[in-house]
Amino acid sequence: MMARAKLGVAGAAAAVLLPVLLPHPFVLTIATQAVIWALLAASWDLLSGYTGQISFGHAGFFALGAYAAAAATKHAGVSPWLGLLLGAAIAAGVGLLTGFPALRLRGHYLALVTLGLAEIIRLVATNWLDLTGGPFGIHDFRSFPGLPAGALAHRQAMYLLVVAIVVGSVAVMYQVCERTSAGKAFRAIREDEVLAETLGVDTTRYKLLAFALSSGFAGLAGGLYAYYVQLVSPVVASAATTSLVIGMAVFGGLGTLWGPVLGALLLYGLYEGLRFVGVVYNLIAVGFVIMVFVIFFPRGLAGFGRSA
Amino acid sequence: MLESLLEFLIQGLVLGGLYALFAVGLSLIFGVLDVINVAHGEFFAIGGYLAFAAVVLLHLPGAVGVLGAAVGTFLLGLCVYPLLIAPLKRRLGGRPQGPLYLVLTLGLSTFLQSSLLAVAGGDYLRVPPQVSGILDLDVTAVSYQRLLVLGVAAVLLTALFAFLRFHPEGLAVRAVALNPDAAQAMGINLPRIFALTVALGVALAGVGGALMAPLFNVYPAVGFPLTIKAFAITILGGMGNPAGALVASFLVSIAESLSVMVIPSQWQNLIAFAVMVVMLLVRPRGLFGRAVSR
Repeated sequence: MMARAKLGVAGAAAAVLLPVLLPHPFVLTIATQAVIWALLAASWDLLSGYTGQISFGHAGFFALGAYAAAAATKHAGVSPWLGLLLGAAIAAGVGLLTGFPALRLRGHYLALVTLGLAEIIRLVATNWLDLTGGPFGIHDFRSFPGLPAGALAHRQAMYLLVVAIVVGSVAVMYQVCERTSAGKAFRAIREDEVLAETLGVDTTRYKLLAFALSSGFAGLAGGLYAYYVQLVSPVVASAATTSLVIGMAVFGGLGTLWGPVLGALLLYGLYEGLRFVGVVYNLIAVGFVIMVFVIFFPRGLAGFGRSA
Repeated sequence: MLESLLEFLIQGLVLGGLYALFAVGLSLIFGVLDVINVAHGEFFAIGGYLAFAAVVLLHLPGAVGVLGAAVGTFLLGLCVYPLLIAPLKRRLGGRPQGPLYLVLTLGLSTFLQSSLLAVAGGDYLRVPPQVSGILDLDVTAVSYQRLLVLGVAAVLLTALFAFLRFHPEGLAVRAVALNPDAAQAMGINLPRIFALTVALGVALAGVGGALMAPLFNVYPAVGFPLTIKAFAITILGGMGNPAGALVASFLVSIAESLSVMVIPSQWQNLIAFAVMVVMLLVRPRGLFGRAVSR
């Protein structure tokens, strides 16, 4: 435990130092987006890794947060700080509403419903022209105020801001999952839902809590993405986003939170790297990683660390 | 009003044949293996590509294209159980780990879809219809191609249900669906039945893909929206109940085509989602399903 904690601190320090060590716009862009993906992968893990309820709709919640934040800032002049919260709140609200019909039942209904939900969100994003700009999406909205104006300095500040928010969010998730009775309830549901219920765990309530937290943090990641990339289009809500985030979580190791964060950083690097080989190969790799890791290395990279 | 109602009813009925081909296979696989095949739509796409390869690239007759799609997807489907599901099952031992199978077939879906993109490109490929011409029904016109889909669906699904009812191998499939342990104790070779079931299920989707190729065109993600609709259909018909899925396919397709009279057509995909949510709220076991534990 101590060794792992030290390793974590060292890793975090290295991550924060990166923009100072390699102040290159391309590296910063990749690094910032990788950190945003890390938050999304961790949010999926909070639900699916800890409670065993699979969401196939994280592309939808990510898009919901991104669109809510971008639209609020563009159309209503809302401050990006509020926009982030708004995106998270809307994603969590939609998560609660759609989670309710599926999560009061036992079984895999959540996966089926959320796959449909993500597609609906993509449909709305494409067709509600006034609010979402249709296929071209929302662009030309302001980002966080008070960041330095110089191109490189701006990217560096943005990177540090994103890292701070993501580290804070993952820390909150870790607290909930590892230090509270809710976290114990999540894991009890994953291991044996019937037994958990017999022991007096209100399984529906805890599943809904996990799902609301998970979709809320996915929405927060979406908001960060919107203010960083400055363009939100329906592509964000495509099924490929969900595959990528699940691939990251499986790669890193389910039910650990830090595993999916690590998986996201590495797999996003690989994903972007494979673009140089050919745009189509990166998703083949993601599909392959998912299948191989689920079958042969179910504990992901986190499991390698544990056995060593 | 009445005329357009009749027109949409007929169009919905014809579309229902396709949904049934697709959803009955998905439901059969779930009923027997307890695995939701998220990659079902990709086998539909592969069927379309095989038809394209046979008819456009090799200049073979349309019927050969459909047959090739059936055989090709069947053979691919035969590999899914031994290569993917069985190793995961072995590792999990006796523990039921439903969530991991979902993630596994999602991985397969992503892998197949992007492989198709790498091999065939993202273009919409045109496949000539297996039959040409249009049947004029006075209120509406239906192309013979669409009737062919309905006809083939009727023949194949009748054959499937007859197989499950009368053929010893089909009886074995149903026995495994009811109780795998008891079936194994009676000497049924479980891995064989599992592999066969997946192959049969995805081959139905493959035939659907070949027959729909002239109507939808072929592209890597062509089957994905169908997967979502089939999820709604299996919930409506009762999870793992192929006969329920058959009826539910026509209910959903007719509801979708009638919806055009009320909501703009680009929102048509909302119907399947609404069906899913309403059924889970009101009657989660589906119209014909076994009771669901809460």
